[in-house]
Amino acid sequence: MSLSRRTFLIGAGSVLALAGCGSSNDKASSGGGKVELVYRLWDEQQEVGYKAVFAEFTKQNPDITVRMEVLPWDQYWTKLTTELASGKAPDVFWLTVDYFPDFAGKGVLAPLDDLISKAGLKLDAYNPNVVQSYKFEDKQLGMPKDMGIVGLLYNKDLFKKAGVTMPAELTWAPDGSGSFLEIARKLTVGTKQWGFCSWNHNQTQWLNWIASNGGHAMDKPYGTFDFAGQKSVEALQFARDLIFKWKVSPDGTRTNPPTGQATEMFYRGEVAMFPANNALLPFALPEVKFPIGVAAMPAGPAGRTVVINGLAETMFAKTKHPEEAGKLVAFLGTEKAQRLMGDAGYIIPALTDAGAGYQTFWQKKGIDVQPFLDSAAGSTVNLPIADGWTSKSTEINKAANDLFLDKTPVQDIAAAMDKIGNDR
Amino acid sequence: MLRPAPRRTHRIGRGRQTAAAYALLAPSLVGVLGFLLAPVVIVLVLSLFDWKLLSTPEFIGLANYRKLFTDSDVWHSLLVTLYYVIICVPGTTILSLLLALLVDRKLRGMKYFRALLVIPWMATPVALGLVWSWIFDPGRGALNQFLGLFGVDGPAWLSSPVLAMPSVAAVHIWQFAGYNMLFFLAGLQNIPPSLREASSLDGASPVAHFFSITLPLLRPTMLFVLITNVIGSFQAFDTIFVMTEGGPGDSTEVTTYLIYDEAFKKFDFGYASTISVLLFAVVLIATISQFVYFERRTTYEVSG
Repeated sequence: MSLSRRTFLIGAGSVLALAGCGSSNDKASSGGGKVELVYRLWDEQQEVGYKAVFAEFTKQNPDITVRMEVLPWDQYWTKLTTELASGKAPDVFWLTVDYFPDFAGKGVLAPLDDLISKAGLKLDAYNPNVVQSYKFEDKQLGMPKDMGIVGLLYNKDLFKKAGVTMPAELTWAPDGSGSFLEIARKLTVGTKQWGFCSWNHNQTQWLNWIASNGGHAMDKPYGTFDFAGQKSVEALQFARDLIFKWKVSPDGTRTNPPTGQATEMFYRGEVAMFPANNALLPFALPEVKFPIGVAAMPAGPAGRTVVINGLAETMFAKTKHPEEAGKLVAFLGTEKAQRLMGDAGYIIPALTDAGAGYQTFWQKKGIDVQPFLDSAAGSTVNLPIADGWTSKSTEINKAANDLFLDKTPVQDIAAAMDKIGNDR
Repeated sequence: MLRPAPRRTHRIGRGRQTAAAYALLAPSLVGVLGFLLAPVVIVLVLSLFDWKLLSTPEFIGLANYRKLFTDSDVWHSLLVTLYYVIICVPGTTILSLLLALLVDRKLRGMKYFRALLVIPWMATPVALGLVWSWIFDPGRGALNQFLGLFGVDGPAWLSSPVLAMPSVAAVHIWQFAGYNMLFFLAGLQNIPPSLREASSLDGASPVAHFFSITLPLLRPTMLFVLITNVIGSFQAFDTIFVMTEGGPGDSTEVTTYLIYDEAFKKFDFGYASTISVLLFAVVLIATISQFVYFERRTTYEVSG
């Protein structure tokens, strides 16, 4: 026993030692009037784009350099939250709508209103939904960075093979009428090729069905959830019907997170139409062997409304370099910086008029991304948020897995989701 | 071993002797206190707090424990853990014993073969998990490619609620069988060859010899292997974390994963600590009952 216990101790010791070495901005030096800021992100595609952005920033501010830290998605949040709690965090970092509620009330995000007005930026020049997403108690805590817009990616080869052309406008309705389902059926071949993939992803899937059916996941930010409302239930039922009634989509045993492989199925050419956030494009392109087309999400009985999930640049409230970090955040909001990222095809800038370069970039790659831009300009809906949201959204998403299995009635699942969301 | 020094202790003062002993113990004492006992105490204290990491910790007494007893996720995770333990412990034990019997012979190259079997235990669990999730990949994974050679359409191993747990457990068994084999091998080599000769003279078949002589004499080893395996399986986390993240659904959501989920996804450190205390109690009970069971039945030495 003594041997194994010692082995365990050594193991435990090294884990703790590693955890102890975790904080990152000790290294942020400030020697000789020069300041190095730490900038944290999770997207290694965009890291490349930001190099140009920061080079431009340092050109304008020769005394400030920016060091990027890229962390994988899961680690990003664990590490960031731990660091924020311990008072040592990156100076500037990315934030999503999902995580905003848990950070906003805790005094870890610096209010940006003063530096925004000082830099001569106008918040009404950015997408209003993204601006609104990062407002807390009338303070702007996030600089709008981009708009993550949901659109429909499709496999042009499969369309050609089935002799189908993508119509200018797709429509759906809970009863199964509309052009979307008709096309999905034509593209489904046995159980090896699916016209669509209806899977448990709130942002790109069921929240869109709810919105375009005229329902609301939630009445207002920090409000009351209404998954069990009639319009929402119809929409959630449609998500299930695509699998079990209309049979145009693989079921939850193959697609449910965390083990599911929905995105990979699209990459492999097993799924013809796949809703995605436009930020997926740079990742999808090198993975696929077929030309990708982009269409707008199907319009429902209440027209087309798609989920928008814009990111924000946020500043650590206790940064050692508030002035320099403030300059950086302000710069990231400028047309110059937003265009640099948009023109290189990484993102659709949150700055409303800066999206032309994004379109040009993807045009050169043979992909017409105009439907994403049109959808962004049309009716959009924010992701729901509530107090304690990271915990609740995990639970709600878990409960929603059952929508994609044919066991529990949709009404009961929706009620369970409401209960989690509205629980105080 | 060196011979013990001649007794001259009366010359050295008691106090100095004790101080010397503590000085020698200090390095491991720091380890035990700092990395083993302190975390246990901290977790016990934290379990009485509402602490969401970014919020200020707030003392709430036993509220977390009340939540624990009505939380179906927790009890489900205990069942899942039990399922995992029930597959892994017999699987690892039997396989490692068979391997030990197999390699307990003097053949050329045998020591390399033994080393080969221990390698999975030495590799990083996260890397193992990653490699195995590639092997299990339904589309391009090695396993289904192999099955495809025989015209078998392999299932989605890790995304099927039925197959995920056995698949993950199989990796655990594979990972630890070679390591546990070492203990059985040592145990086997401690059994005097004369016993084998005696039993064969009495006409015992190899099978009878194994069950009536070898196995009973391996009891101390068996106790060690079973206890460390039960504890190890209850605490399994890394390969599950990499391969299934507790899914599909909650079919591989073992208690350690639930603790991780509460602490590092939901940042509810108070409640995560409460679940840890529960797991601690369960492992403690399991270990004590194994000790009690074996204490009555174990022969530690072959009497001369």
